[in-house]
Amino acid sequence: MSNTRTNEEWLNDLRTSGAAQEAAIADLRNLLLRSVLFFFSRNLGEFDRLARDEILQLAEDCAQEALIAVMNHLSDFRGDSKFTTWAYKFGINIALMTARRERWKGVSLDQLASAEDGSLSKWLIRDKSSEFTPDQSALLSEIREVIREVIEQDLTDKQRRVLIMMVFNEVPMDEVARRLDTNRNAIYKMLHDARRKLKNRLQARGFDVGEILALFTIQR
Amino acid sequence: MNGDRFESWLRNIYETQNEEISCTECFDLMSRFVELEASGQDAAAKMPQVKQHLDQCPACRDEYETLRELRRLEEEGGMPSIDDLQDLIH
Repeated sequence: MSNTRTNEEWLNDLRTSGAAQEAAIADLRNLLLRSVLFFFSRNLGEFDRLARDEILQLAEDCAQEALIAVMNHLSDFRGDSKFTTWAYKFGINIALMTARRERWKGVSLDQLASAEDGSLSKWLIRDKSSEFTPDQSALLSEIREVIREVIEQDLTDKQRRVLIMMVFNEVPMDEVARRLDTNRNAIYKMLHDARRKLKNRLQARGFDVGEILALFTIQR
Repeated sequence: MNGDRFESWLRNIYETQNEEISCTECFDLMSRFVELEASGQDAAAKMPQVKQHLDQCPACRDEYETLRELRRLEEEGGMPSIDDLQDLIH
């Protein structure tokens, strides 16, 4: 049984040959299939367009892909966690990317990446400012204005499109990466650069974002 | 963007660091982070860069939360069988 192996036994069995390796690979595949099904079962809304059999087949495909990924990365396992914990993350990673892809299949992102219709201002204005004092509301309005300026003037086109899709329209990172033919690291870097610009600009204008955040906490 | 999301995003901006680890680095370290938590240690204090990335990256955070839950179920002997999980798919 998969759960009774020590880390060393997992590695030895997976690296050996013959019946011991076959058994270990079968156990590992089952373990990965469980991680995929576990993620799918908690995110069923992503598969509205698929029949049950299709979802189950997708889970089998993900488990197979994850098995190959684990076998290719065995030398990366440092033993600083249970082997099963380390292996699960490959199944979860592939399950998540697959689920997001299914959810957004056929959905155009053009509208969700653009701020040409003034939607950026609308997004930034729509909040619970009525709960603040006039002074606090004025402060928040100034901040929103700086943020709008930075987004419209200081960010590159690609940074702006990614930011609008992900932050304002909640398009998942993996789907943005897939549509832009890039990867998670590149998208994260774009968002990180955008956040740094926004933070620096707010600080340069004398805004203490920590104090501003405290306003929201006080409202609760 | 409603007030909560604006606040959450403002917090992300406020907590931005000059140097942040990538999603690949977070993926590499995630199992250790979860293992530290499972053993009752302060994973966030021991691995602050992972914690920081998880606070900023929704995709990595989703994976981390699922991994943490699987680790917990396995530890408690409550890991569902494949049949049970397949029954949840409908």
